[in-house]
Amino acid sequence: MQRRAFLLSSAALSGGVAGCAENEAPPGRVVVPFWFTYGGRNRATLSTLVTRFNRSQNDIWVRAVFQGDYFEGLAKLRTALAAGAAPPLSHVVGEVVPYLAEAGVLEPLDDYPGARTLPLLPALGQPGSFRGGAQRPLVALPFNRSTPIAYVNQRLFDAQSGSPDTWEGLRAVARALTQPNRFGFGCPIDWWYWAALVGQAGGRVVEPDGRISLGDDAGVRALALWQELVADGTMKQPPGRDYNAWEQLSQDFLAGRVAMIWSSTAFVRYLEETADFPVRALPLPRGVRGSVPTGGTHFVWLKAAPRELKRAAWSFVRFLLRPDSAAFWSSETGYLPVTTEAAQLLRVSGFYERHPNYQVALEQLAVAEPWPWSTSLFRVQREIVQPCLEAAVLEKLEPGRALAEARRLAEESLP
Amino acid sequence: MKPTRPSQPWWLLSPMLAALGVFFVYPLLSALRTSFYEWDLLTPPRFIGLGNYRAIFGSGELFGSLGTTLLVSVIVVAGSLLLGLGLALAVNRPGRLAALARSAVFSAYVVSWVSVGLLFLWIFDADAGVVNQLLAAVGAGKVKWLTSTAVAPLTVALIVLWKVTGYAMIVFLAGLAGLPPEMQEAAALDGAGPLARLRYVTLPMLRPTAAFVATTSLIASFQLFDVVRLLTQGGPVRSTTVLVYAIYEQLFRDLRVGRASALVVVFFLVLSALTWLKLRAFRSQEPA
Repeated sequence: MQRRAFLLSSAALSGGVAGCAENEAPPGRVVVPFWFTYGGRNRATLSTLVTRFNRSQNDIWVRAVFQGDYFEGLAKLRTALAAGAAPPLSHVVGEVVPYLAEAGVLEPLDDYPGARTLPLLPALGQPGSFRGGAQRPLVALPFNRSTPIAYVNQRLFDAQSGSPDTWEGLRAVARALTQPNRFGFGCPIDWWYWAALVGQAGGRVVEPDGRISLGDDAGVRALALWQELVADGTMKQPPGRDYNAWEQLSQDFLAGRVAMIWSSTAFVRYLEETADFPVRALPLPRGVRGSVPTGGTHFVWLKAAPRELKRAAWSFVRFLLRPDSAAFWSSETGYLPVTTEAAQLLRVSGFYERHPNYQVALEQLAVAEPWPWSTSLFRVQREIVQPCLEAAVLEKLEPGRALAEARRLAEESLP
Repeated sequence: MKPTRPSQPWWLLSPMLAALGVFFVYPLLSALRTSFYEWDLLTPPRFIGLGNYRAIFGSGELFGSLGTTLLVSVIVVAGSLLLGLGLALAVNRPGRLAALARSAVFSAYVVSWVSVGLLFLWIFDADAGVVNQLLAAVGAGKVKWLTSTAVAPLTVALIVLWKVTGYAMIVFLAGLAGLPPEMQEAAALDGAGPLARLRYVTLPMLRPTAAFVATTSLIASFQLFDVVRLLTQGGPVRSTTVLVYAIYEQLFRDLRVGRASALVVVFFLVLSALTWLKLRAFRSQEPA
């Protein structure tokens, strides 16, 4: 009981302090706290959408509360859940959706009007994002979804003749673009990009029967490719981990220290606007097949929140998933348009003709690989595989042995 | 002053005891209890006995993070003593240049850890960093300051050392100012040169100051978090995962409240042991 009171006061304080900055709700409206974790331009874009929603009707007032990055936001959400002070609506990374769902803290949305028939792009909704996601109660809806793509410095790229559309092409372009003070290629040593390579090599990180194979031979080939490129001196692995490494690589790219990088489609707008050279986006290469994972976050409703607030939050998300809202979000950020209608709106308006970089991730969805519906996935990813990848690349470990050890640890960690 | 009633000292102490109870004893006991449970803040806690302790000892995580913390601590404590004292002796003189040097060295201490992290991210970048460019200018090879498992912990220690040295210097300057000048004069009259006076007069009298500097440097290195969070996020390959960062990872990233609590308990025991050793060392130096 004491712990509960302490957590409750902590959660109330963090939410309250952050929420103070928002405008006061007009009297008579249902106030819906929405905890979000978008920074920079994405935050400003969301704020615009929230303002539009609040002005579009007279019943609901969404109060968007910034909660730090994805993982800080998740930590605060868990604290709020433990304290019984959960907001009705937030958004979380895909890897933790099964965990939260199986913990019983997410609201099933099947009874919400129209929830199962939203015109979502198939690869981005819960059924397409997770193997087995269709058989579970609907608990997550996509909004800021992404895939990894390649960005090249167009000026440098045009000066060579290769194309990084296969692994061999990637090697050749990386070599051709490398100079004494410049790497041809840069990629964070990160699970997300490795999962793309595993798929391209013909494997899966987790098999359909639930076995954590880490791609078996395909996983080894993916890791060996990174090791080869780093050993050649043609690939830069940025310092730091997670989004810090991604940001560092963006800075290297913008400063001309790396000619081609792999990053999220969410960076399209930022890189285009910031670079003093033309930026071109390209799909990731094919190995024995094309394959990319999806990323970003899903909206989730917290079961413990009052019913009235959850219903009001539903109205807000329906507003965000309207074609004009979803298209606005996508065109302002680079994230994927999550509904077929929004994608169509951008297409017929000529947006993709004017901004072809935004279409690369959309077209890649044809080869998007769903994640398994696994409660242990995020722990396997962060505690076991990520350190294994770092160690194998930095310390030049034999990739087969490194992944075998990671597989053993992953099997041991399963409940 | 004699207490008017036997209970009076307790009344006077009660505000501090209450604060200690609420903010120190209760959280610690709570962490001790939680360390015997598997808990993710979402589902009900499950009692697993010593399972969390077995996990942190068995996985090597505890020894790894403790080793990194101790490595950083040794470098920071030894470095801040030597550099702090050396700088204090060098600038302990009147004049504008010495005043400027004092201010310049101390300024590092007042810079926030976040700014320090961002600054050194740029300075120690393997390709575009100032340090490697200077090394390249003199024909030396690149050093992977932040991306090598062998070098990254030393880089982190170096950064902490850079930040705390200014403080150590100021404390040593205060210590030097408090030394009675007649001792130096007497030693000089007896024929002691500058080095002999430093060794046999100044250093022994600065021992309490040095103990204070060592303690504050040790605290700074054991509390290390911000720079690691900004610069390396515990990597590469956990090589800069100090104990406090390991606790953060378990609690906020991996949703393992029980294991984080077990690390907190061990952290407390390690600090207690170090405090006991320090007290013992002090007592052994006191006159009988």
